[in-house]
Amino acid sequence: MAPRAARLGVPLALAGLVLVAGVLIPGFLSPANLTTILLHVSINGIIALGCTFVIITAGIDLSVGSVVGLAGVLTAATLTSGTVLRVAGPGGAAVVAGLVGIAAGAAVGLLNGGVVAKLGVAPFIVTLATMTAARGAARLVTGGVPIGFPDPGDPLYERKIAALDALHAVGGGRIPVPGLPNGFPVPALVMLALVAAGAFVLVRTRFGRHVYAVGGNEEASRLAGVAVGRIKLGTYAICGAGAGLAAVLLVGQLRSGGPDAGMLYELNAIAAAVIGGTSLFGGVGTAWGALTGALLIGVLNNGLDLLGVQSFWQEIAKGVIILLAVLFDVWMKRADARRRARAARI
Amino acid sequence: MTPPAPSPTPAPPLLALRAVTKRFPGVVALDAVDFDAHAGRVHALVGENGAGKSTLLKVVAGAERPDAGTLALGGAPVSFGAPRDALSAGVTVMYQELSLVPQLRADANIFLGMEPGRHGLLDRHAAAARAGEVLRSLGADFDPATPAGDLSVAEQQLVELARALVRDARLIALDEPTAALSLVETDRLFEQVRRLCARGIAVIFVSHRLEEVRRIADEITVLRDGRRVFAGPAAGIDDAGLIRHMVGRDVEYARLRAARGAPGDPLLEVRSLGSRGRFSDVSLAVRRGEIVGLAGLVGAGRTEVARCLAGADPHDAGAMALAGAPYRPASPREAIARGVVFLPEDRKTQGLVLGMNVRENVTLAALGRFARRGVIRARAEREAATRQTRAVELRPPDIEREAGTLSGGNQQKVVLAKWLLVDADVLIFDEPTRGVDVAAKVELHQLIRGLADAGKAVVVISSELPEILALADRVVVMREGRVSGELPAAGATAEGILALALPASHAA
Repeated sequence: MAPRAARLGVPLALAGLVLVAGVLIPGFLSPANLTTILLHVSINGIIALGCTFVIITAGIDLSVGSVVGLAGVLTAATLTSGTVLRVAGPGGAAVVAGLVGIAAGAAVGLLNGGVVAKLGVAPFIVTLATMTAARGAARLVTGGVPIGFPDPGDPLYERKIAALDALHAVGGGRIPVPGLPNGFPVPALVMLALVAAGAFVLVRTRFGRHVYAVGGNEEASRLAGVAVGRIKLGTYAICGAGAGLAAVLLVGQLRSGGPDAGMLYELNAIAAAVIGGTSLFGGVGTAWGALTGALLIGVLNNGLDLLGVQSFWQEIAKGVIILLAVLFDVWMKRADARRRARAARI
Repeated sequence: MTPPAPSPTPAPPLLALRAVTKRFPGVVALDAVDFDAHAGRVHALVGENGAGKSTLLKVVAGAERPDAGTLALGGAPVSFGAPRDALSAGVTVMYQELSLVPQLRADANIFLGMEPGRHGLLDRHAAAARAGEVLRSLGADFDPATPAGDLSVAEQQLVELARALVRDARLIALDEPTAALSLVETDRLFEQVRRLCARGIAVIFVSHRLEEVRRIADEITVLRDGRRVFAGPAAGIDDAGLIRHMVGRDVEYARLRAARGAPGDPLLEVRSLGSRGRFSDVSLAVRRGEIVGLAGLVGAGRTEVARCLAGADPHDAGAMALAGAPYRPASPREAIARGVVFLPEDRKTQGLVLGMNVRENVTLAALGRFARRGVIRARAEREAATRQTRAVELRPPDIEREAGTLSGGNQQKVVLAKWLLVDADVLIFDEPTRGVDVAAKVELHQLIRGLADAGKAVVVISSELPEILALADRVVVMREGRVSGELPAAGATAEGILALALPASHAA
């Protein structure tokens, strides 16, 4: 949806960063470290993918971070609920808890999308409100403390541990791959599969085409018979469900769900989407861009960690490099335009 | 202004362009063009879309730098690196899309960027007083404290002119200033243009409407494909000659009204339709194979009626019927499903998704036909888009080209291709050829006539009387939100339509 050459900017910046880190940092390019980066990126990548759908429609979803918190505590509560454990067993509880987390995220997304589409309230305001409310709800559910490890005296201690382990097999599991000593992290696999699916939906389906059309020109789309409200509702539901799934993976990984989980995740996700070439003005963006943007942030964090850079400096460096990545993209677009102008003169 | 000066060039030109050349990717926008503007005279610039008029204005305004050639102002060579260089030299361009800040008051807009005052403090009284004075000198009767966004287009143009005057403009270029004006407003604007000339200001006037050019211009330059193909006094050439120069061949602005048998039963019927504050008691009927022209001044309520027919806006009185069945669409989506489509007057904001390519725009309204379980069948889509763009003779016939990079006429063809793909029964065109060049206009007229001949019911809204007369089988005239009369094709004349369209006080 953007000029082909202009899309190369951020992937090139990512490649350059990987190259520099590979030269500077021993062990950076090792399979173990690269899979670690993918694991650390997967939560943000999944959320950024959902946000990309919303941002292409010229919307925004600030609530995803709080949704991670709310969906996470609901997942953890379901996972360790005595009733669920007795009826479904530890494995079944993990499945039910996962579905609860995704459904909770989708529900907040539907609420966001419904208010945006039907009542015409600005997405920034709507999702700012749900961001605040969802965080409050997460704290209300848990009384402010994380849900997870049972007390040693808990009569269901064994089963709760088994349920936490079952979900951990997804959130923290690794699939054995020859040549990879620790295997390939499951969340990274989930992210890659979702990005591929997201790309398919955006490029090849009617819904995806309508998402771009609504973001590119809402009035023209409406007059062309596009169900603008339904399309918007769909993107917010996808975004919310994505955040819910991210929460499930996070609970699995940590074996607990905390009400304060996911703080500021919305900003990381929006940053990843925008770095990946999605325009906040709508109409432009790709699923692969969201992945590229998330990877760029992940590589940066990992590289600075390995270099032993103090975390305060890391934040500053991250800000600078986010700006540079976007400037690089702008510069590439200009160079591309100049090249085409020269070609036309010959 | 009407009698041309005795000698063709009485004095050295205020602005002189010599051999100005400007290239863009894939196109030579200006090819060694000469152009003069004289103090106190109106020089009209005409040509089809893409002929290079806008580029020439941008070069004059300092918004584009020429690749070759020279500019001289008052005999001295100049080089405008940016619009502000041109402004400080007294050269102002008033673009079609006005550049006012809608939230700011008219007087604040006039002084924007050169606010009077000291040490960063605004002298608002001085600004208001001076702005009021200049506006009054231009015949404006609105309060200079009105936010610009609340003013009509004609009033906003006066604000732009006032802005040029307080900057001591020596040359003012007007880019299609009458496109959004009613006849009365156009007359008033021309009066102001003549006053500007009387003050010794040079005026460049760009328009598609030849009769306006004829009324106001002292000299005319015709551009075609970036080259100057005619320049001379307005009195020395007739309309047919101008059109010949513009298109490079003889065209007939043909009456396309086909002589056909008695039309069928009404397909779309509207009875006493009303929408509070916009129009009331509108009744009309459109039959299969018939083109109904909806004439009237800008603001008479034509577009508002059309939007109700297409489900884009609700109505609160009256009823509609489609093929005898009640018809009350709640959205364009419902209207399309019933076979009623609407081609809005503003292609850029309502007709197209400019960032999408031609193919995606053409199939947008009928995407369901190319999707299986929601997945688009790329080949079927490509084939349909190719077929439709061929049918409307899109140039270039490139379905992957971004819609925003096409000329106005070709953009309109893309909108038309989109709706042809829907295979609707009723097509409502709102100003189908606004801002479209003469050759494309003729093609669009033929396409619209072809639709009626194929049995569609067609409504055409147009502010151009020749277009209504060329196309319509029946003319319905609106005035101030009501139908003021209906004329059969045979009895319709420009004068007859105008008499029904003009407000009562003017008609007498």
